[in-house]
Amino acid sequence: MSILTVSNISKKFEHTEVLKEISFKMERGDVLSILGSSGSGKTTLLRILNFLETADTGSITVNDEVTFDASNAGTKSEAEIRKNRLHFGMVFQSFNLFPQYTALQNVMLARELLEKAKPEFKTDKKRILEKIETEALELLNQMGLSDRKGHYPHQLSGGQCQRVAIARALALSPDILCFDEPTSALDPELTGEVLRVMKELADKNTTMIIVTHEIPFARDVSDRILFMDGGVIVEEGSPSEVIENPKEERTKQFLSKSNIK
Amino acid sequence: MKKLLAFLLTGAMALGLAACGSSSKGSADGSAQSDSEYVKANGKLVVGITDFAPMDYQGSDGEWIGFDADMAREFAKSLGVDVEFVEIEWDNKILELDGKTIDCVWNGMTLTDEVKSAMETSVPYCNNAQVVIVKADAAGNYSTVDSIKSLRFAVEAGSAGEEQLKELGITDYTAVTSQANALMEVEAGTSDAAVIDSLMAAAMVGEGTGYADLTYTVALNSEEYGVGFRKGSDLAGLLNDFFKKAAKDAFLEETAKKYGVQAALVEFK
Amino acid sequence: MKLIISQMPVVLESLNIGFLQTLKLFFVTLLGGFPLGLVMAFGSMSKFKPLSAITKLVIWFFRGTPLMIQLLIIYYFPGLVLGNPVWGGGEAGRFAAASLSFILNYSCYFSEIYRGGIQSVPIGQEEAGLVLGMTKGQIFFKVKLLQMIKHIVPPMSNEIITLVKDTSLARIIALQEIIWAGQSFMKGSKGISGAIWPMFFTAFYYLIFNGIMTVILSKLEKKLEFFR
Repeated sequence: MSILTVSNISKKFEHTEVLKEISFKMERGDVLSILGSSGSGKTTLLRILNFLETADTGSITVNDEVTFDASNAGTKSEAEIRKNRLHFGMVFQSFNLFPQYTALQNVMLARELLEKAKPEFKTDKKRILEKIETEALELLNQMGLSDRKGHYPHQLSGGQCQRVAIARALALSPDILCFDEPTSALDPELTGEVLRVMKELADKNTTMIIVTHEIPFARDVSDRILFMDGGVIVEEGSPSEVIENPKEERTKQFLSKSNIK
Repeated sequence: MKKLLAFLLTGAMALGLAACGSSSKGSADGSAQSDSEYVKANGKLVVGITDFAPMDYQGSDGEWIGFDADMAREFAKSLGVDVEFVEIEWDNKILELDGKTIDCVWNGMTLTDEVKSAMETSVPYCNNAQVVIVKADAAGNYSTVDSIKSLRFAVEAGSAGEEQLKELGITDYTAVTSQANALMEVEAGTSDAAVIDSLMAAAMVGEGTGYADLTYTVALNSEEYGVGFRKGSDLAGLLNDFFKKAAKDAFLEETAKKYGVQAALVEFK
Repeated sequence: MKLIISQMPVVLESLNIGFLQTLKLFFVTLLGGFPLGLVMAFGSMSKFKPLSAITKLVIWFFRGTPLMIQLLIIYYFPGLVLGNPVWGGGEAGRFAAASLSFILNYSCYFSEIYRGGIQSVPIGQEEAGLVLGMTKGQIFFKVKLLQMIKHIVPPMSNEIITLVKDTSLARIIALQEIIWAGQSFMKGSKGISGAIWPMFFTAFYYLIFNGIMTVILSKLEKKLEFFR
């Protein structure tokens, strides 16, 4: 059983076709990297998975459950969309941490709000809040940020911010964790620390979709690579197939322009 | 200013009538009712005043007293309604009347042509004059009408005093918002002279007042005080009858003596 | 000087009563203007075109005409044009009409400040909230509101200080606020006539009150400096 099945996703902005009939599958524990130049549609694809955009056609299935179907997209209630959204976690290029909350509060906030909405919260308030905090601290520890839990985002470096953002996404235990160019906004000397924690997550069999320009990193962590161009998947396969021995002319051109060592 | 506002309100009226078609019916009903019926239905006569001793002012207990206030209270009693005194911005007295936020202006109001054309006025009940105010030490030089023509004047805009200046052919004066402001201009030296009511001058300038170094010299005219009602109101006629009766049973004169204005009182036949 | 000292108790009593009216109008305006301004901010940003057009028209009117004219229209219009003086002639009616005028006028200014505040929060904040499964309400109250407030405190402070002074305009419909009270002694009131100093003395009331407001608002601004 595939954890994620994407079929025939298309999307138009005004008159530009950004995605044309995109279909792919991924298995639990897979790391899937999506490569492609700017404007190839890879970020839009990620945003559609997270319901930040709505596809014009196609469907998305997670664990045999259809989370999105363009034919009835308008009929879903906000609550249903929110529930389906939680299958995915999202890490943004620009972190989007909440500036008025500390690192720890950033990680805890969404979990707290979800738990508070449940009926059992009232009776077992103290234990649930303690559990959320313990798990959040554990996640920050995993990101190497135990000593930064009380810091506000503006007191953290870009790399630290992005690691808090990863912890924040993990706090809701998503089935699939999505990264939208997570190191593009970082100074080169800070990308390493972010890539290292992503590698650790990959090693722990976290299911991840990574939109990235870091081709050597994609080659090292990914189980599969999608290469997109002009809104279609040009080539897909293992890193050795797509990166080491690309078959398509467009893939070769893209890889030769991005100087890999 | 008033004309501009009237113009704006007319524009707003067009909008208002279009927006609230039903409420225009209310005003039609209102015009069928006479003004005295309207006041009786409200159970009170709303009297527009300013703080103006000795006509309308507050006694030590905060109650409005004065020659006009006492008369208004008695007039309301004769109508069988309560009296309510409301301080208004003097410039807006016609707006207040027409907008029915007050029922009459009873405040030592000079019966000018403007007042007579905009309001239904009572017969005159007090005599008054417009007098010229100058610094006391210069008063000797300005005892004739001709001698004051070279002065720089401050006068309340739209007042009887302004009309008098115009009649004298003095056009280069400063119009200010109140008689009190006109006095301040003289006190501060920004104007040489002011024109205000003699009744007010008696209360406000000279020994023992805040303007001890000012005095009044020439009287420019004589004029009369009256009470103003909404145009077409039947209350003006009722008040005239009331004045006649009050004169007959000496209430008018006794009240005038109480406030020291008996010399200015008009004789009712 | 001796005269002023002897007049002081009577004058201060009047000025205090007037200033109480000033403060009442000030706080009622804030109480009504803050929420109404927010409603109008959302109205003007609405994707429903007729609503945003109407809201913008209202804002244009109230920001584009003098508050003094609005006071005159709101107080006198019902009686003059509709033949029904809904406000009545008494002090309560004048205060109600003044309050309505001030609330409408200031909520238009506030709405523009709110709009700036709302638009100053990056779209990424909303998106981050959405992907974390938050509701629109949670995103607004838990994520965006404080960032907005931080952004609007400085321009809001300006408006609040201006409002304190603008309350004096209400005297055009004979609301007896502090300047009215001060001026009444020029003409004559409570046995004092021709006294100019009470009117100038009202300036101290404004100065002191605005001083207090400035301290409170800059404290608030400082408090919000913990994040950026």
